[in-house]
Amino acid sequence: MQSNEKEVLLSVKDLKVIYTTDGCMVHAVNNVSFDLNKGETLGLVGETGAGKTTIAKTILRILPDPPAKVLNGQVYFEGENILQIPEAKMRKIRGNKISMIFQDPMTALNPIFVVGDQIAEVILLHENISRKEAEIKTMQILEMVGIPGERYGEYPHQFSGGMKQRVIIAMALACNPSLLLADEPTTALDVTIQAQVLELMAELKEKLNMAMIMITHDLGVVADICDKVAVVYAGEIVEVGTKEDIFDRTKHPYTVGLFGSLPSLNMTEKRLKPINGMMPDPMDLPQGCNFSPRCPYAIDACREKDIEFTEVSPGHFVRCIRAEEVK
Amino acid sequence: MSTILEVQNLKKYFKTPRGTLHAVDDVSFKIEKGTTLGVVGESGCGKSTLGRTILQLLDSTDGKIIFEGEDVTHADRKTLSRLRRHMQIIFQDPFSSLNPRMTVSETIMEPLIIQKIMCKKDMLKETERLMDTVGLARRLTNSYPHELDGGRRQRIGIARALALNPKFIVCDEPVSALDVSIQAQVLNLMQDLKNDRKLTYIFITHDLSVVKYISDEICVMYLGQVVEKCKADELFEKPLHPYTKALLSAIPIPDIHAKKERIILQGEITSPINPKPGCRFAARCIYANEECSQPQKLEDVSNEHYVSCHRVYEINENILNSKEESV
Repeated sequence: MQSNEKEVLLSVKDLKVIYTTDGCMVHAVNNVSFDLNKGETLGLVGETGAGKTTIAKTILRILPDPPAKVLNGQVYFEGENILQIPEAKMRKIRGNKISMIFQDPMTALNPIFVVGDQIAEVILLHENISRKEAEIKTMQILEMVGIPGERYGEYPHQFSGGMKQRVIIAMALACNPSLLLADEPTTALDVTIQAQVLELMAELKEKLNMAMIMITHDLGVVADICDKVAVVYAGEIVEVGTKEDIFDRTKHPYTVGLFGSLPSLNMTEKRLKPINGMMPDPMDLPQGCNFSPRCPYAIDACREKDIEFTEVSPGHFVRCIRAEEVK
Repeated sequence: MSTILEVQNLKKYFKTPRGTLHAVDDVSFKIEKGTTLGVVGESGCGKSTLGRTILQLLDSTDGKIIFEGEDVTHADRKTLSRLRRHMQIIFQDPFSSLNPRMTVSETIMEPLIIQKIMCKKDMLKETERLMDTVGLARRLTNSYPHELDGGRRQRIGIARALALNPKFIVCDEPVSALDVSIQAQVLNLMQDLKNDRKLTYIFITHDLSVVKYISDEICVMYLGQVVEKCKADELFEKPLHPYTKALLSAIPIPDIHAKKERIILQGEITSPINPKPGCRFAARCIYANEECSQPQKLEDVSNEHYVSCHRVYEINENILNSKEESV
């Protein structure tokens, strides 16, 4: 990557989000910080309920409040804290400079409008052009994601799952965003279709020089498409670094556990090494390190106080006091 | 070893307003006692229908199902009730396959009550033993499914399937709804149970790395037909059918140094309604020619490696020829 591209686009600092339900507090996101440079792809990896989607929705400011509440933290996008700006201004950014692809292509489209109009709506909202021009632009975008332009007038039910996801991608890219939040964009798709969609996304990202946050639970997808990886566990980032840091120099016991849980295709041993126990209840997080109840390396010091983020090598941060001993 | 289940030319068609849907079309195989047959394919290829038809949860259209030497294809209620002791199923979705009004112990005990094989006191004891076997804490005896997470619910499903001490279990995507760390726990449990109780599994999944981990033999299905069948390791070392090749190459591998030569399939799965004779994969196949519109059969190309493809020898010239020389 060239040095002039190393410009910070998005910077999330000490983000803390809670959900309140029946008087209980659920700590969905705790002290999450990370930076994303222009044109870079960050993989946000973790299991169900880790808080990945909440992080993305906070950036886009689409969390329902109540029950969700951002307690603390800043999100700097192009140098401006977008958590503080008025909603009217945010609406100009949303769908324009930052857009999002949702997980389930089956529910993200409105079934009673033709797909073309749903894409054109985004363009009309953000660009000062006529309806006719927007329609032409929509057809170009459809072609770009591999859908013939003449399918503009078809309804979502006439498209297959993979094709619907392409429509969603087209919609997200309609205004050439500089940041794309992709929330499990291929999870609902079959592998051969997933391969098509991932290839398309990588290609478009390159072409449009767009930064991307790829939310996924699939480490295979991460290896494929990401530059940087942040591993999320129980609302916290436990390890962040370049793809090489995470895959080759894994430091956090949870990340090690994730890799051990995956049946690999070139595996020789006949038994998986799962992580013991379950993810903690976010209403009742353990003292100290959230992973300590399941961690084979846990010692008393782990349970005493919150663990600091430490830099083990330039750009590779780990939230574990025994990181050096982890193998 | 003896054959526990044999399926001969099994067909399951559904009548739809648009024509006949060929969900399972002429599938034949044998399973040896104590082994696992993996069935892989993408959504809509008929793998779940196959599992359900074998258990007579769906009535077959044509063909034979032979369980322990007995033809059970159109068994009556009485025979079926007897068969259910030996043939069980674990369903995919642990959220919808359990009755929300029944407690954990009631759910696990239900098969014992229906089969009337022991007195109430023994049933309670047996239920506790089953809960221990699958790793459910006894304090959960009177919990309801909604109080439990996906991993625990799937363990209830497994305990219930084991209650009658069956010989044969159809596992229909038993880990797809689970997170990786929990998935690994459940896979290890299933592997242990298989070894301890000499169980025979049909393991239906879309996840190729899971199927490699758990199976002895694998069938690859495409639009209701088996396109390739062989030993698990062999399938991954030298896939011979063009669809299997593409499927394997499409899996995102969680290794950043792995060499990736991806075959991206064009188009999507065609409709299983009124399929044309000939290879059903031909429309997406890079090797397809006119010959492929002729009907074709699964044939043994080398040492019990079955492939259904006209051009299998041409495509795999180097693999198949070098093999013959060495033999």
